[in-house]
Amino acid sequence: MDKKTRDIFITSFLAILFGLICSGIMILFLGKNPISTFALLFSSMFRDGYTIGEIFVKATPLIFTSLAFAFTFKANLFNIGAQGQFYIGSLVAASISLLIPHAIAIPIAIIMAFILSGIWGGLIGFCKARFKANEFLISMMSTYVALNLMNYLLRTVLLESKGEYPQTDSLSKNTWLFKIVPHTRLHVGFILAIVVAILIWLLLYRTTLGFRIRAVGQNQEAARMSGVNPELIFVFAFFISGGLAGLAGVTEVNGVQHMLLQGFNPSIGSIGIGIAILANANPIGIIFASILFGALQVGGTIMGQISGVPSSIIDLMEGFVMVFVIISYFIRNKWEINREKKLLTEGVK
Amino acid sequence: MIVNLLSRAMMMSTPLLFGALSEVFAERTGVMVTAIEGIFLMGAWAGFTTAYISGSLSMGLLFAALAGLLVSILYAYLCVSLKQHQIVTGTAINILVAGLCSFLQRVVFGVPLSPLTVEPLQKIAIPLLSKIPVLGPIFFNQNILTYSVYLLVPLGFFILYKTSLGLIIRSTGENPEAVDVSGINVSKVRFVAVMFSGLMCGVAGAFYSIGYLGMFTTNIIGGRGWIAFAICFLGNWNPIGAFVGTIIFGLAEAFAILMQSSSSTFLPNELFIALPYILTIILTISRKSFNVPAKLGSAYVKEN
Repeated sequence: MDKKTRDIFITSFLAILFGLICSGIMILFLGKNPISTFALLFSSMFRDGYTIGEIFVKATPLIFTSLAFAFTFKANLFNIGAQGQFYIGSLVAASISLLIPHAIAIPIAIIMAFILSGIWGGLIGFCKARFKANEFLISMMSTYVALNLMNYLLRTVLLESKGEYPQTDSLSKNTWLFKIVPHTRLHVGFILAIVVAILIWLLLYRTTLGFRIRAVGQNQEAARMSGVNPELIFVFAFFISGGLAGLAGVTEVNGVQHMLLQGFNPSIGSIGIGIAILANANPIGIIFASILFGALQVGGTIMGQISGVPSSIIDLMEGFVMVFVIISYFIRNKWEINREKKLLTEGVK
Repeated sequence: MIVNLLSRAMMMSTPLLFGALSEVFAERTGVMVTAIEGIFLMGAWAGFTTAYISGSLSMGLLFAALAGLLVSILYAYLCVSLKQHQIVTGTAINILVAGLCSFLQRVVFGVPLSPLTVEPLQKIAIPLLSKIPVLGPIFFNQNILTYSVYLLVPLGFFILYKTSLGLIIRSTGENPEAVDVSGINVSKVRFVAVMFSGLMCGVAGAFYSIGYLGMFTTNIIGGRGWIAFAICFLGNWNPIGAFVGTIIFGLAEAFAILMQSSSSTFLPNELFIALPYILTIILTISRKSFNVPAKLGSAYVKEN
């Protein structure tokens, strides 16, 4: 292991530790003992086979939304709208599964959700390329548009046949993603997420296209001079990014909920960004960081039910971890500079 | 009805102006305050909680400003002192604040059986002026925060363009090296500008909880911080531009509220709720000539 990788492990570990300590202090405000609360949190995660399976169920959509942020981030673009693209993917997956109640709906849903939410995302890239519009703002606003679109459709054409709540009918069992471990909710979507993460890694680091994307991210004008068209990269990166977030919609609708509910998983996009920050936007790192965050959510939910510590402590913990991760970027950079300086002075002697 | 609409538009544009104007000052020094959504939320929570416990709205506003200040200090420490990425940092802080507010809400209030409310800020009719037909009810029958807008816009313009302080602020965003050479600490200017933004955005957030609705929910801000952030861009980093932008968005929001309550089934409600967001997208795309501060978003690293 080289020194840089070692630094990443040490500082990330410390960031998580400090995040836990800060949330422990917050637990004190509730008049609870943070140590026993954390012990309960961790034992809840591994209580039985079901909860362990749940960790990977929760990690699955997070891998996708986090990859969505990381992919555009490599091109120095900001897709803050993964939440909206996730809703578009969910809409597509639910509509197709309701229209075609057969197993064939699953591959169609996966492909169409990827394409349509990819187009939704690609439009943001297009606005950036064609009108030099700020992609950060447009992607942020597109989430609210997608949310309202979903609310409208759930109230009208997709409304359940009972017509009571803004949700769809249950999907036919044929269209459910099949379970890979019995007695858990763990479905094949998790495998899909891992495969996609590896594919994205290969695309970014082992193909010319990936090199071009990263080149645009490093220095847009230099990339242009060497014959890369940054505008095309903008559209492409946002298309893939939107598609990835859309896949989270398929795994959630066909794999977990088996229906589409109004405003479900409202923070999947922002947590995805947090995971990407923790994993330094590395697709393989994202898999592990997502599992970590999935585990926190499972533990936090159970803890909230039995101990009276609200599950929002998990959001708080994730927030603290992210802030410390950002501080750890600074520290790593400083160590790196010190090493270079040392090498330089040794070289002079 | 038109008068009612415009009066409401003036009111709804107030917090956006507080946010956008302070964002203009911060961005002119070269720092985007991307934690703005979180600062709004923190202000909304602190304002509501203080007002509920103390029974005083002015205490609420004061603590909202202080809470916003605290968040902005954390943001400024990470972005200005440690020179970390502004968008990444802002996103992290927004997530942190969202968790913090729902956690603290639970710590302070537990799980209440009925929604907690406070009496929101009252409108103060200015004698004589509020009697002017049409203009009176629109401009002179508002709450105290909206009145302060009439003062803030010209004051902001004057400070930014007619004082030496304004010159320092603008130069820090355009040419920090020159500012540094003239003996002014660039980081200090930026830090203070972000702190100012924190104070103002805290008050802006409190406008939603105690200036208007009289209650707090964790999704009370719902992207309004980002809209203020967008207005700063669309208004070309100019206090007057920001004022025009906030009026347009205030109108959109007032119109949306009007259409929702008018129960016409002609167009879906959701379209009107999404209107301010759609408007932001359209304006972001259609604005051509931007006068972006040269060093916006990049940290100042002193060479040695």
